[in-house]
Amino acid sequence: MRFSFTDDQLMLADVVRNLLTKRFPAGELRATWDDGTGHSPQLWDSLGGVGVLGMLLPESAGGMNLTMADAVLVFEQLGYAAAPGPVLETIAVAAPALVGTSSSELASELAAGSTLATTAIDGGRYVAHVPAASVVLMPDGVLRDFDVEPVEGIDGGRRLARVSGGALTPINYDTTAAYDRGAVATAAYLLGVSQRMIDIATAYAREREQFGKPIGSFQAVKHLLADALLQLEFARPVVYSAAWYVAVDDVDVVRRVSMAKCRASDAAYQISRITMQVLGAIGYTWEADLHMWMKKAWALQRAYGDSTHHRRRVSAATLGSRYPDGASRIA
Amino acid sequence: MDLTETADEAAFRQEARNWLANHVPTEPLPSFDTEAGFQRHREWEQLLYEGRWSAVSWPEEYGGRGADYIKWLIFEEEYYRSNAPGRVNQNGIFLLGPTIMEVGTEEQKHRFLPAMASSEIIWAQAWSEPNAGSDLAAIGSRATRDGDDWVLSGQKIWASRAVWADWCFGIFRTDPESSRHRGLTFILCPLDLPGVTVRPIAQLDGDTGFAEIFFDEARVPFENALGETGGGWQVAMKTASFERGVSLRSPARFSAAADRLLALWHERADPSDTALADRVTQAWMDAEGYRLHTYRTVTHMLDGHRIGAEASMNKIFWSELDVRIHELALEILGPDAESLDGPEARWLDGFLFSLSGPIYAGTNEIQRNIIADRVLELPRGT
Repeated sequence: MRFSFTDDQLMLADVVRNLLTKRFPAGELRATWDDGTGHSPQLWDSLGGVGVLGMLLPESAGGMNLTMADAVLVFEQLGYAAAPGPVLETIAVAAPALVGTSSSELASELAAGSTLATTAIDGGRYVAHVPAASVVLMPDGVLRDFDVEPVEGIDGGRRLARVSGGALTPINYDTTAAYDRGAVATAAYLLGVSQRMIDIATAYAREREQFGKPIGSFQAVKHLLADALLQLEFARPVVYSAAWYVAVDDVDVVRRVSMAKCRASDAAYQISRITMQVLGAIGYTWEADLHMWMKKAWALQRAYGDSTHHRRRVSAATLGSRYPDGASRIA
Repeated sequence: MDLTETADEAAFRQEARNWLANHVPTEPLPSFDTEAGFQRHREWEQLLYEGRWSAVSWPEEYGGRGADYIKWLIFEEEYYRSNAPGRVNQNGIFLLGPTIMEVGTEEQKHRFLPAMASSEIIWAQAWSEPNAGSDLAAIGSRATRDGDDWVLSGQKIWASRAVWADWCFGIFRTDPESSRHRGLTFILCPLDLPGVTVRPIAQLDGDTGFAEIFFDEARVPFENALGETGGGWQVAMKTASFERGVSLRSPARFSAAADRLLALWHERADPSDTALADRVTQAWMDAEGYRLHTYRTVTHMLDGHRIGAEASMNKIFWSELDVRIHELALEILGPDAESLDGPEARWLDGFLFSLSGPIYAGTNEIQRNIIADRVLELPRGT
């Protein structure tokens, strides 16, 4: 039993963190909101350049042959930067789903960054990240050349649309495994989002003075932020371990993934409430950077299943047949 | 990362499971906060010691097995799963023992540790005072040097297990000119000494689990000071980090309680109430989350790192989790929950005990201050 990351895993996360810090500061993120694309081609090129876009693919498909346990810290770093566009959908869900199917050449295009993919497999009415993404992974195949009717969404880094028409190329893939990869990668991304919100609010609490003192010296504020950190630190091991359960394809993987998404979603939401409160009126503005991470949290807390859905999945797996409709919730 | 057990770990688990299956009393022992119960628990500790299970993480020369933290967690899981009695000498084995190993002299290690492992000496904790609770640095009890002795005067309170324990450990002001964290010394003192008076205090459940201790010029040898004279605060903080960290409340305790809660749900709850079921599941998930968090922490420690103020997060998490588990159990029991007899009593007893968790070992509000000041590095309050 050993619950820690290897030096290689930590180093990869460091590389991605440094890249994002240098090339994708908050101003660049804001630009993708302002120009209405919710996507940064430069960021995409950079991620492709270090191999992140295809990191879960075998080397034969242009990938790095990493497991979810290797990749989980990278997804966390993408969240810390609130990386816009279909990063989770392309990297964690679509690209690995295509391997070994009749559309496997598309996986290599995703790894190279020449094509962007999103997904429509979690039951939502709207599709995120179109038109940035030109292909959509559906439960029964790959959709191309579809019509797009944009819909305003809460997160400017995640443009929504109604998708209709198009040409479906049927493929067979493990939809449950794809959904679970999406859920655990999203959970990891939410850890990064949560850490960033805490960092923003903690920095603010050190600087902002009222009653002649930094507001971070008041116990009411200290306790809010301590609770935020507690939420994050107890979500981390649940998410990291779930990535390992995915990597080894353990029999308990469904429950482990659901525990991760449940806790990460709840933590991110609670941390958004706390950090906004610490910033006071500034936290309620468009101008302060915090809102871009809060809105990311609010969008992703429900992507690939919200905490209620995932808690029910855990209930079904833990409480067994006495829990109503147990079996159908796990599938 | 590898969350499967090694063959060696699995064999250790099996050995612990077999021993416990053959030795755990079939009937629960009376509360260790009663005179008869205390004695029965001491006998149980001696049985554990004879099987070399009383202090598995200690070096063999002091009666342990030299088990690493992972094996210690495995033992704890088997221990609580087997419904074995509570640990009456936890103040000694889990708090003072590790502190002596870290700062004690060789003479102190040999003098105190084997007798602690065997529970020949059971320890009480004597830190708080009537005017030094959350503000522990306001300690006023004194130890004055007189020849080869310390002369102790003052009053301690909320001293757990002190009513029937043999010795206590506490911090005393040894520099009368000092204030706050400076000038304190960590001293070990027998409770049957002339000048030491113990007055039991009935707890919320009516048992006398803690006490006041009055020191009226009680004399202990100079060698009973642990660590440097004047360095008592630093020694106490080491003990506190063991207490808040992993050693006092291993996750196994809460995993076992969560498993019992699942069993209670199956036995007594209306399954169509999915809202209740999902809250039961959440409690189980939280217990599992604490377990995972602890395995991550101990792997970090095995890699040579220390845990500091982060331990305060554990203490908040497990104490609040323990209350939630018991609240849910009482909710499932419904109108039967108020009975202190019969099969329901364990949950009500456990509920009462869980309510002390957010208070002892530093209130959760103090823990939040520590997290804010030392982990988040927010400005200190004035």
